[in-house]
Amino acid sequence: MKQLRIDNITKQFGGLTAVKDFSLELNNGEIIALIGPNGAGKTTAFNMVTGVYRPTKGKIYFKDTDITGLRPDQITRLGIARTFQNIRLFKDLSVLDNVLIANHLHIKSNFIEATFRLPRYWKEDRQMREKSLSLIEKVGLIDLRNEKASSLPYGMQRRLEIARALATNPEVLLLDEPAAGMNPKETENLTEFIKQIRDEYNLSIFMIEHHMEVVMGISERIYVLDYGVIIAEGSPYEIQNNPRVIEAYLGVSEDA
Amino acid sequence: MKKRNIILTLVAVLLALLFLWFAKENFDAYKVRILNLCAIYTILGLSMNLINGFTGQFALGHAGFMAIGAYTTALLTMPVAVKQQNFFLAPIVEPLKDLTVPFFPALLLGGIFAAVVGFLIGAPALRLKGDYLAIATLGFSEIIRIVITNAQRVTNGALGLKGIPNTTNLWWSYGTAVVTAVFIILLINSSYGRAFKAIREDEIAAESMGISLFKHKVMAFTIGAFFAGVGGGLLGNLLGTIDPLMFRFFLTFNILLIIVLGGMGSITGTIISAFIVTIGLEWLRFLDQSINLGFVVIPGISGLRMVVFSVLLMIVVLFFRHGIMGTNEFSWDKLINRLNKRPLVKGGTK
Amino acid sequence: MALKLFLQDILDVMTPEMFLQHLTNGISLGSLYALVAIGYTMVYGILRLINFAHGDIFMMATYFTFYSIVMFSIPWYVTFILVIIMTGALGMVVEASAYRPLRDAPRISILISAIGASFLLENLAIVIFGGRPKAFPAPELFTKVFMVGSVSVQRLTIIIPVVAVVLLFALLYLINNTKSGMAMRAVSKDHETARLMGVDIDRTISLTFGIGSMLAAVGGMMWGLKFPQIAPLMGVIPGLKCFIAAVVGGIGNIKGAVIGGFILGIGEIMLVALLPSLTGYRDAFAFILLIMILLFKPTGIMGEKITEKV
Repeated sequence: MKQLRIDNITKQFGGLTAVKDFSLELNNGEIIALIGPNGAGKTTAFNMVTGVYRPTKGKIYFKDTDITGLRPDQITRLGIARTFQNIRLFKDLSVLDNVLIANHLHIKSNFIEATFRLPRYWKEDRQMREKSLSLIEKVGLIDLRNEKASSLPYGMQRRLEIARALATNPEVLLLDEPAAGMNPKETENLTEFIKQIRDEYNLSIFMIEHHMEVVMGISERIYVLDYGVIIAEGSPYEIQNNPRVIEAYLGVSEDA
Repeated sequence: MKKRNIILTLVAVLLALLFLWFAKENFDAYKVRILNLCAIYTILGLSMNLINGFTGQFALGHAGFMAIGAYTTALLTMPVAVKQQNFFLAPIVEPLKDLTVPFFPALLLGGIFAAVVGFLIGAPALRLKGDYLAIATLGFSEIIRIVITNAQRVTNGALGLKGIPNTTNLWWSYGTAVVTAVFIILLINSSYGRAFKAIREDEIAAESMGISLFKHKVMAFTIGAFFAGVGGGLLGNLLGTIDPLMFRFFLTFNILLIIVLGGMGSITGTIISAFIVTIGLEWLRFLDQSINLGFVVIPGISGLRMVVFSVLLMIVVLFFRHGIMGTNEFSWDKLINRLNKRPLVKGGTK
Repeated sequence: MALKLFLQDILDVMTPEMFLQHLTNGISLGSLYALVAIGYTMVYGILRLINFAHGDIFMMATYFTFYSIVMFSIPWYVTFILVIIMTGALGMVVEASAYRPLRDAPRISILISAIGASFLLENLAIVIFGGRPKAFPAPELFTKVFMVGSVSVQRLTIIIPVVAVVLLFALLYLINNTKSGMAMRAVSKDHETARLMGVDIDRTISLTFGIGSMLAAVGGMMWGLKFPQIAPLMGVIPGLKCFIAAVVGGIGNIKGAVIGGFILGIGEIMLVALLPSLTGYRDAFAFILLIMILLFKPTGIMGEKITEKV
């Protein structure tokens, strides 16, 4: 059984086709990467998987469940979490609150129980606090837990976003350019970190990334998207030596 | 919480109670009425802030919910004979005619009825965002008013209701205000409250964290409508007279002014500002009335008071966008630190 | 069966002449709505903002007309031009004081500022002009009644739609064929890009407010001629209704605003004519229409869909 199966999805905005007949499979425990030049439609593909956009055509399955057209919160509830290319933290809230919010989907108490702090809520609240603190510790932000999210430096905000995504208890994690804006040292740490969380939380990871060190370092398979169409798929070695990929990236024209 | 802060809070509460008791015994009716209005506007401000400030949904339907609460409570508490006097154009409908219940259940029913209508309005309207939501809720509020104006046999139409028992006193209004404040503080600091704030900060991120936007927006809106209805009920039984014209957009504007001035997303800011705005509106009444200085009479200009208030709102929005408190809350530590002119310890209390 | 009886009832009260009478009334009211709705739609198109004060600018125009004719005895044809200029200037002043300082502020602040500006204008009108309604000076030239068959028609009923159509074409020409119009279209698509292309954003927005307010001035004067009683709060309900007309037609789209205006005007008149028992709910019609449109076709009749970028 595949963790995620994307079956020929297409997205059109008016006359513009952003993604065309995109198919992809993600096996249990795998790390795969989607690469491609800017504007190739990578984030659009992500947005379809997470329910932000509805595909014009095609189906998306999460462990054999058809999730096409579900709302983002329903998809997250099933077990797919994501981060955002342009970091979407709850800026004015604390680091701890950011992670606590991602626990809310599992809450069983209703708002009356929560408001009056009845026993069930009391217990749930304690559990979500413990879990959130341990996640924050894992991403190395424990001393900053009461700071406003927007006050963190860029790299830490990226890590906080990952911690927040993990708090939803996902089985599949979608990372949209996790290394964007990081220096080489941070990038190296991140690569290790992604492997580590994959093993620890038993995740399957699907990421978009430009940093080739990250992509080549940890992905088991790579998909290359250009002008909304998959032009190549394979192991890092195969992709590195694929002429079509080189052409797409270096913009080698037909007269070359 | 430090022991000192607990003691300070208890002392403050005790002083407030003493003041209320003193006011009830010694203040004239006019001042007592203003004090009551302060508490009622606190309730209304808090409930609107829950929707607009904490959940970030710019809704302008408060006057409608207040009208529902006010009419429900009034009709349920008016004595049968008074109802008959009121409804001289067309007789009142049957079950309401002989129905009289005590104030508390009537107030509660007013809130519940407002909440039910709030739910029915919120469910479709909250699919909209920003100014579309503002105009749709404003429209719904107008529709409520138009329905009340036309439902002659239920609401007495444009004539309004007179002789509503003046049950609202300082204990009722401040008691309800405290209950409202405590409820909303507990709510916004719970997991649900965090979800509301997440929606305010970033809807797309909140939805991606598994928070159902629809469910939580409707929840905040319905709870807000409930307290608006309760506030309306208290208002009607304070004034003794209500009519549909009272519940025009202008009333929503007053409450909006309170939460903007106090800070969208601050409980203590709303409370402080409810007092400032209510007392300020009364105090500025002299602008509308003529002043007799003995040798010369300065004619009052009717409407000038509201000009001052409109200008005030604009100044706040243009130059002090975060109001008195922004999204911060009052705390003893901050106050004492400020009094001692010491810099604030980073990381808050320990 | 019930429906058939209902239709029979309508046919009983409605003769073809009466129907024509109501239709002309509806068209003339719809033209007024359209003139004011264009102002909403233009400002929304360029700033993505409801100009809450637009209805009050409309009200101000009627007072300008009143004072010009009654107090200063300026002939009506000079007055009309003066009022259009003054109202346009007022719109620009409102923009410069209530909107421009908040250009980079959160939308909610701009919205509150807009509501504040609206209340300020209303209350200023109460203070300066007095709260009591005044009689609008309507020259006989416009109000004369003539008969078409058995249908009695006020000259105004014909003049209003004609003026509205002429102004609509003038505006469309301005937007599609002049440099300023091109700047407006550019700003409405993307502020940043327009700025980079050398468009003066502030000037263009100011111009948009000016033109929208001038159309509101024409609408206000026509309104005064048709319903010759003016009051400080007279702009509130027509203002809301015209915004609704703009939304129904597809906000940001000028032709849509005109279509929306006609739908609303004709719909309102017909509702009251066909179902007199609902007269009290006349003002609710617009809001119900708004809510229906927002729920089932939020982009309106002519509007384009905007997808939020993630």
